[in-house]
Amino acid sequence: MSKAVIQVSDISKLYNLGTIGSGSLRRDMQLWWQKNILKKEDLNQKIRDGRKIDTSEHIWALKNVSFELKEGEVLGIIGHNGAGKSTLLKILSRIIKPTEGLVRGSGRISSLLEVGTGFHSELTGRENIFISGHILGMKKEEILKKFDEIVDFSGVEKFIDTPVKRYSSGMYVRLAFAVAAHLEPDILIVDEVLAVGDAEFQKKCLGKMNDASSQSGRTIIFVSHNLQAVSNLCSQALWLDRGSVRARGKSKGVLNEYLSALHKKSWIKEFSTVREAPGNDMIRVLYVELLPHFDDPLSVIDIRTALTVKFRFYNATDNIVLSTDLLLFTLAGECIFDIPSKPEIHNKGMIEGECTIPGNFLNNGSYTFTLHFSKDTSSELYSYQECLMFDVADYRENTNWYDKWWGYVRPDFPLILKPLTIMSK
Amino acid sequence: MNQKPNSSGIKHWEWEIKPETSWWDIGLVELYSYKDLMLQLARKDFLALYQQTLLGPFWALLQPLLTVITYVLVFNKIIGIPTDGVPPLLFNMVGITLWTLFSEVFLQISKTFSQNAEIFSKVYFPRIIVALSTLWLQLLLFGIQLLLLFALYLLFLFKGQVEFNAGRLFLIFPVIANTAGIGFGGGLIFSVLTAKYRDLMALIQLIIRLLMFVCPVFYSLAMVPENVRWLVNLNPLSSLFEYFRFAFLGVGSLNGFLLLYSAGFMLMIVFFGILLFNKMSDKLMDVL
Repeated sequence: MSKAVIQVSDISKLYNLGTIGSGSLRRDMQLWWQKNILKKEDLNQKIRDGRKIDTSEHIWALKNVSFELKEGEVLGIIGHNGAGKSTLLKILSRIIKPTEGLVRGSGRISSLLEVGTGFHSELTGRENIFISGHILGMKKEEILKKFDEIVDFSGVEKFIDTPVKRYSSGMYVRLAFAVAAHLEPDILIVDEVLAVGDAEFQKKCLGKMNDASSQSGRTIIFVSHNLQAVSNLCSQALWLDRGSVRARGKSKGVLNEYLSALHKKSWIKEFSTVREAPGNDMIRVLYVELLPHFDDPLSVIDIRTALTVKFRFYNATDNIVLSTDLLLFTLAGECIFDIPSKPEIHNKGMIEGECTIPGNFLNNGSYTFTLHFSKDTSSELYSYQECLMFDVADYRENTNWYDKWWGYVRPDFPLILKPLTIMSK
Repeated sequence: MNQKPNSSGIKHWEWEIKPETSWWDIGLVELYSYKDLMLQLARKDFLALYQQTLLGPFWALLQPLLTVITYVLVFNKIIGIPTDGVPPLLFNMVGITLWTLFSEVFLQISKTFSQNAEIFSKVYFPRIIVALSTLWLQLLLFGIQLLLLFALYLLFLFKGQVEFNAGRLFLIFPVIANTAGIGFGGGLIFSVLTAKYRDLMALIQLIIRLLMFVCPVFYSLAMVPENVRWLVNLNPLSSLFEYFRFAFLGVGSLNGFLLLYSAGFMLMIVFFGILLFNKMSDKLMDVL
């Protein structure tokens, strides 16, 4: 029976939103004076000119999180943005202290919370291997021993004496990851490092991590939005929801639980009675749902996924020329498209609508849908704004481009290059 | 070490993470295991300092040289501050070299948190390693400037304008250690304060400038009128400058009591600085 290498008991982390300090000594002294000498609590808000911060507001980023990992186990941590995943990793990495609780462990612990920690852009690849290696906790002899291996893995031999600021972003990431991949801690903590790079590079990274756990018996704690990776790599999974452990156990079970909740929560809005449904005297929207076309229930919406939007609403007017627009906005509020339905005469009652957006159309990013109802194609009846929100993940093949893909849309229109044969005669 | 049984059987955990750092919890063994990192960080800063520059490390020489020429012009030629019969160039050079050590150590170490917030939020190592590497780098740069001072000293020695005394010269080592210590301790305290209050960064510049005026850098203590001399003596750096100048030039008002005061102050501020830094460094990560 393998032994436990890390034990997390009842970890909690409290963030004070208001009283953490204003960042200026004068204001903090003012606050202190008012709070402790004048006993006027309510003035705090006024001092923070306009910014509404309630000084009594605390947020438990983590609440009573406990788990234990044995040697060679790989734990995937999943959850929404702001669920406390990064806070947990930072506590385990000793970057921040928990407010309550205790973490105990054995063996060397290394964390990869970003690619290229400690890289200095002015210095050469060679220098940076040493700097990054040392910062990540390697000893000088270790780095010297593995130096050639690291350079090989990165594939930037030719540029090893060039300042890394002249590297392409791909080379930079490969070099940075190569250093990290040659760490040999007993416990490895990895945060979303795989969010960079193309599919091939991600595969390489996942492979390296897989080797680390299966061959070297390393314990890995891994945070990712890539549920596929979590499912392939991790034997155990932990689902964090608003700072608490929602589920913990074998990764398959936890992932299924997470996915079903995810679908339920964010991609459907359903109301059982007309009275509580959003709308007005003319229109009430009882149901909106986003249905991604998945082959595999474990996948996330990426740029290849086709999406169907279904909605149902109650029309309270007889004999009305009604049309509906489906609008898609980016989170920044720019409209991507506005798809109108054909204006038709409708009577009082329930009406259903459906629209399918093909795959390979949207660029990656976060989007919201808005439903807009109008009469006689001109006067607005009701606008149900931001009724659904969803994320489109990136997916790339055959490219060395790692930055954000340009453009609001990303259609897969064929663009064909043909070599021209020169007429010699 | 006594091993206590716990929930997973009889097992001894190698490390633990607790909510509070105690005041005395300084892991010297752990610190020593990071010595490679300390040297590497100093090396990185040194290399980065002179990347894509015209003169490279010669800046370390040019800076004090230009400063000393300005001082001689302003304080000696224009204002006419006497220099106890010592060539003004050498007199000022001695003061400026030691002052640069103090001000740079103090200033650079006080930036420990504000300049490394990015890296501190991504990886753990004892934060004081960064401060130690800064100290190390500044001592190195000081060493370069000391060479320049010695070159100038030799020049005036050959011209017969100063006299040499080997025994006296050994005084510079405790003086350098004491000066760097005060800069280090003060820098640690201010690094914690500036992490929390950004506006204090401007104050540091002011403190350094004001301190310089109540410190015999470009004048000697003997020149200070009796009624304000207490103010200069209050500055724990003052006697160090007098001793440093004495070591080289054989002039200066020596006062063993004041030197003891300076050493005591240094020990206090280093001790308090390290404790405060150690206690606060984890907490500060929530603020940075």
